[in-house]
Amino acid sequence: MKPLRIALTKGRLEKDTVALFEKMGYDCEAVRNKGRRLILPVGDSLEVVLAKAADVITYVEHGVCDMGVVGKDTIMENGSSFYEVLDLGFGHCRFALAAPQGADFWSGYSARTIATKYPATARAFFESRGMDVDIIKIEGSVELAPLLGLSDAIVDIVETGTTLRENGLEIVEEVCPISARLIVNVASLKLRKREIEALVSRMERETRKEKGETK
Amino acid sequence: MKKYSKVTPEGTKDLLFEECLIHRVVEQKLSRVFASRGFNEVVTPGMEFMDVFDPESSGIAPEVMYKMADRRGRLIVMRPDSTMPIARLAATRLQNEEKPLRLYYTQRIYRNNPNLTGRSDEVLQSGVELLGAAGKRADLEAIATAVEALSCCTPDFRLELGHAGFFRAIADQLPINGEQRENIRSTIEAKNYAALNTLLDGLVQTPSVAAMRRLPRLFGGEEVFAEAAPLCGSEEAASMLEYLHSLYSSLVKLGLGDRLMVDLGLVQRNDYYTGVVFSAYAQDCGDAILLGGRYDNLLSRFDMPMPAIGFSVNVDAVAKLLEEQGYAPDCPKPDVLVYGPEGYEMKALLFASGVTSQGGSCETSVFETEEETIAYARRRGIVRLAIVGEKVQELRLDRENAKGGEGR
Repeated sequence: MKPLRIALTKGRLEKDTVALFEKMGYDCEAVRNKGRRLILPVGDSLEVVLAKAADVITYVEHGVCDMGVVGKDTIMENGSSFYEVLDLGFGHCRFALAAPQGADFWSGYSARTIATKYPATARAFFESRGMDVDIIKIEGSVELAPLLGLSDAIVDIVETGTTLRENGLEIVEEVCPISARLIVNVASLKLRKREIEALVSRMERETRKEKGETK
Repeated sequence: MKKYSKVTPEGTKDLLFEECLIHRVVEQKLSRVFASRGFNEVVTPGMEFMDVFDPESSGIAPEVMYKMADRRGRLIVMRPDSTMPIARLAATRLQNEEKPLRLYYTQRIYRNNPNLTGRSDEVLQSGVELLGAAGKRADLEAIATAVEALSCCTPDFRLELGHAGFFRAIADQLPINGEQRENIRSTIEAKNYAALNTLLDGLVQTPSVAAMRRLPRLFGGEEVFAEAAPLCGSEEAASMLEYLHSLYSSLVKLGLGDRLMVDLGLVQRNDYYTGVVFSAYAQDCGDAILLGGRYDNLLSRFDMPMPAIGFSVNVDAVAKLLEEQGYAPDCPKPDVLVYGPEGYEMKALLFASGVTSQGGSCETSVFETEEETIAYARRRGIVRLAIVGEKVQELRLDRENAKGGEGR
């Protein structure tokens, strides 16, 4: 039997997932000492692929990876034709609308300009408010845009809010909470139901345990 | 030089030789099954008025359709699906025809997918529609045809059954509005257990809410029916489940074994499908290779209400599957290359017609000289040469010679 192939978002989500796998008793030695390799065995039944967040979705959608671990932010931005089966409970942060401190974002009639790395998410948020805004895609530090006078506000991921404060911004409204999700290819779930369900329920149990511990 | 003169639009591609041949093989296998089971072929236009595909009844979002306008400014789309045009056909030109109508098609559909995702905008589909027939016999006929068609192409697929009405029957028991219902449906479609729970946590916890919570997990083998039975909560849901079970029991006799599955969380295009829905999956193919179901309300959109069921096979996906499984048809080489020296051109052509009319294959050389013709035959790997002069002289280029020719 081919091992189940799971794509992990490189960086923090990868570390958290590996930690979760180790608690479940998987041997993650290969991932810990990966060198430059990007496809790594975990135990006999799993194979880990390391990829950038949006690529995790692409690989899972096309079925070249059976499963993936990716942030809800990436899912919201890139749409979804896969199964999103589990909230892994780590990688917590939130999408927020932030504007310069003291500015009244909602007042006035002029159309707002919003800078963001997540144009689809920003557009969906303002559409749900029935608000027409100009959205500008920024690739790097979005906080710069309002400081430089390019935009009235930003929509971005906020963890602690420190970066916002240090740049004179404050949260106007929280858009939604974010955490890491386990996603599964549609055909894979049907073709390898038993293996995938067994893995998912073990991950779920371990995730719950951890939640219990921290409470 | 025009900027885009040497490329094809994104999401489209040329099919060459072997790839083209595999496509044709799949097409022919499917068509043969459909025709031999009494379905008649139809072809609908590549473009249609957009009104045919109104998003509400087709379940196709307007933004995925390729649109243009005709001379009178009317909106035209490139066919995004074949069932709607066939429903139009059935309701208009075939309205007085004997029912049921058994139609099949092999044609391309067009979808405007997001760029750079590797999805094809042009997909070749082959499928059947059985119009004007309701009930279990019709359902079994459609599904059995689907199984036979796929089995001809690849033995290794799984068929999954669901029922569009099951979700509706349970949703009707919940105190929710249209928007909530759509949210619940989309989380079930995505098997997003967490989001579904969040949505349902806001409701008064009744047995129906608990049933809805379980819905995306209700997939697998026959055990699903026993699992789902206590969750029905209404006569309607129970009778649908019972019906699906009886279909399942009948279909087991097709010999699919554990390749027959059930998923009560199949809620795609839920306003479009009305009864049984089914799809097929194959290893190494990330998406369904066959999709189908019963759509009893669609024809009333064309003022000709009648029950109907159908499915379509993604020919491109099946061809790719065969290619990956190592199925490699040889592009046929002509048996013989015919050459006529100056003055004998017409005699050579007539000789060639003689060969083909007797079922052989041949190519007529378009080179001026015999030397060029021989060199070409060697490059092409054609072994027999017929030089048509006063007499016909046959020349054999054996393999060694052919190889030597390549090296030169």
